[in-house]
Amino acid sequence: MSDNLTLPAQQGPADVTPAEPLLEVQGLTMHFPIYGGFPIKRKVGAVQAVDGVDLTVGVGESVGLVGESGCGKSTTGRLITRLLEPSAGKITYAGRDITHASRREMAPVRSEIQMIFQDPYSSLNPRQTVGTIIKSPMEVNGIEPEGGREKRVRELLELVGLNPEHYNRFPHEFSGGQRQRIGVARALALNPKLIVADEPVSALDVSIQAQVVNLLKKVQEELGIAFLFIAHDLAVVRHFSQRVAVMYLGKVVEVGDRDAIYNRPRHPYTHALLSAVPEVEMDDDAEPRERIRLSGDVPSPIHPPSGCRFRTRCWKAQDKCATEEPPLLQISGNRAGHLTACHFPEEPTTEARDEDVILDPALQALEGSADQG
Amino acid sequence: MLLEVRDLHVEFRTRDGVAKAVNGVSYGVDAGETLAVLGESGSGKSVTAQAIMGILDMPPGRITGGEILFQDRDLLTLKEEERRKVRGAGMAMIFQDALSSLNPVLSVGEQLGEMFVVHRGMSRKDARAKAVELMDHVRIPAARERVKQYPHQFSGGMRQRIMIAMALALEPALIIADEPTTALDVTVQAQVMDLLAELQREYDMGLILITHDLGVVADVADRIAVMYAGRIVEQAPVHDIYKAPAHPYTRGLLDSIPRLDQKGQELYAIKGLPPNLMAIPPGCAFNPRCPMAQEVCRVDVPPLYEVSAHGEPEHVVAEPGAERVSACHFWRECLHG
Repeated sequence: MSDNLTLPAQQGPADVTPAEPLLEVQGLTMHFPIYGGFPIKRKVGAVQAVDGVDLTVGVGESVGLVGESGCGKSTTGRLITRLLEPSAGKITYAGRDITHASRREMAPVRSEIQMIFQDPYSSLNPRQTVGTIIKSPMEVNGIEPEGGREKRVRELLELVGLNPEHYNRFPHEFSGGQRQRIGVARALALNPKLIVADEPVSALDVSIQAQVVNLLKKVQEELGIAFLFIAHDLAVVRHFSQRVAVMYLGKVVEVGDRDAIYNRPRHPYTHALLSAVPEVEMDDDAEPRERIRLSGDVPSPIHPPSGCRFRTRCWKAQDKCATEEPPLLQISGNRAGHLTACHFPEEPTTEARDEDVILDPALQALEGSADQG
Repeated sequence: MLLEVRDLHVEFRTRDGVAKAVNGVSYGVDAGETLAVLGESGSGKSVTAQAIMGILDMPPGRITGGEILFQDRDLLTLKEEERRKVRGAGMAMIFQDALSSLNPVLSVGEQLGEMFVVHRGMSRKDARAKAVELMDHVRIPAARERVKQYPHQFSGGMRQRIMIAMALALEPALIIADEPTTALDVTVQAQVMDLLAELQREYDMGLILITHDLGVVADVADRIAVMYAGRIVEQAPVHDIYKAPAHPYTRGLLDSIPRLDQKGQELYAIKGLPPNLMAIPPGCAFNPRCPMAQEVCRVDVPPLYEVSAHGEPEHVVAEPGAERVSACHFWRECLHG
């Protein structure tokens, strides 16, 4: 494997939304039915995993999709790669509607959309050699690259920083980070235009995570591949993506370029998410950040709250939030391309507030007793 | 010192050979103090904790040397019966995965109450009342009703609160938390971490916080011990370590975490892979990955040097209890460069 994957600083128009969209998603919805009842099972409800998501990924652009577990980010990824059949909505890839495309209609598109999975242990077949694993997408799609498939596999192994001589080894002979590189090589085998990466580094150790993030970044920039980067780690996404969408309980609540989301967030949930990230302060005079502690967990997607879905955990919620669902709009004070779905948005800053927002009753009580004692 | 681990050695005998998981670890925790033990998978951080708790799988594990002094008694010389009394009442552990640490077929009330029945000889009824009290204390809403529920009826964050309640039940002097928030979402993680820190203050417990996440540690720890290949490579008060690490591995870790206030720059990556514990490199275990490695690093195992950011340290090789130590021949260069 290559020694150090540090790359030169990125140049060019990084934070500009490219004009040409590659992937467009409108009103994407996935409701998983729940069956119950006796003796005849019937549909008794639905898990509203994804509920009306709009998203655009430009050619060669990297878009981050962040949120907590159960917010529907992975389901969105699986819908886009058509591993799941959406309940409603529209997916347009390169101007072609692929929402309900049949197997045959999907065939030419399949090779252009690839996926990288979270778990490098279960996503590689333990009985196949690395060569076979990376070669199989080419075989399935009947692609015969110049110089043969084996030569291409060796090139790919080298590209992802593995030794091409390891062609005949099995996945168990590699470490977690190296396996993830094999997954990357497999995704690159067909020269894709779009890669959906579902938590590609969250299973890896810190020092290995940095190597793989740098590799993905190199691949993205040098080969001009568009990425939909799904992650729960906001810091990793900031490194990797030019635009970021924040999801909560099946909906996109805020979307904007990197600077808008991380420095000028408007949605209370984005504020809470950013403030919850534990940070290493190496600098004593760093600006103190705001401190927000939500209470409880994400509500059940089977019975999501009416109106704004975040209202049950929001400190700004009012009656209007329960009755009227806030649309995803460019609210006043936002720059172009920065959309927020909130009736009562926050100030666009992440600096510490006069008073911390502590909604968690446990912390409230503890802090109260600490003040008295 | 509440707990003192001295020169602990643990190895695992496997079919493929002997894996040296812990190779001479020494650390200590005082009452009311939080020590963070930081390391990647396979660094020996959890194995050390299991040895302290006395829950190491033996065999294949084997403690081949060292002492674990808890309240001035060497735990390794105690009989299993006495060891059991220390566990629970003297020290308790919180695990990463709350769902698999709880018994799925018993209600949480029964599991919490069991602590009082076994260790305190209480009746089931009194134990149930105690369980409600504990759940209230970790602020689980509607504790009186929820005490009858089963683990699967709780969310991840609530389950971890139950684990915390269980650890607190007998008011132990020491709590070992092994990656307590790794499986939780960020917003929930922040709640649980704050709760743990506040409760520690309230009970004046010693806390050993085992984690791989440098961020989690920064807010709550007093001191940090960084482990690599079964050894402590650096130990220091939390602020010193973030300001100027005295070991290249710590520096590498700090540089390789993506941070919220950075965008798009390339991440620093420590080259290479963690060592195979069956064949730890000679000399300093980190030398094949170290950007500062010299000939001496490949030959001599570095002792724990005493580190001082200003002026010369009192001793070259650290005495037990030194405030800041580093296992690097070139700690000065690392600290100042």
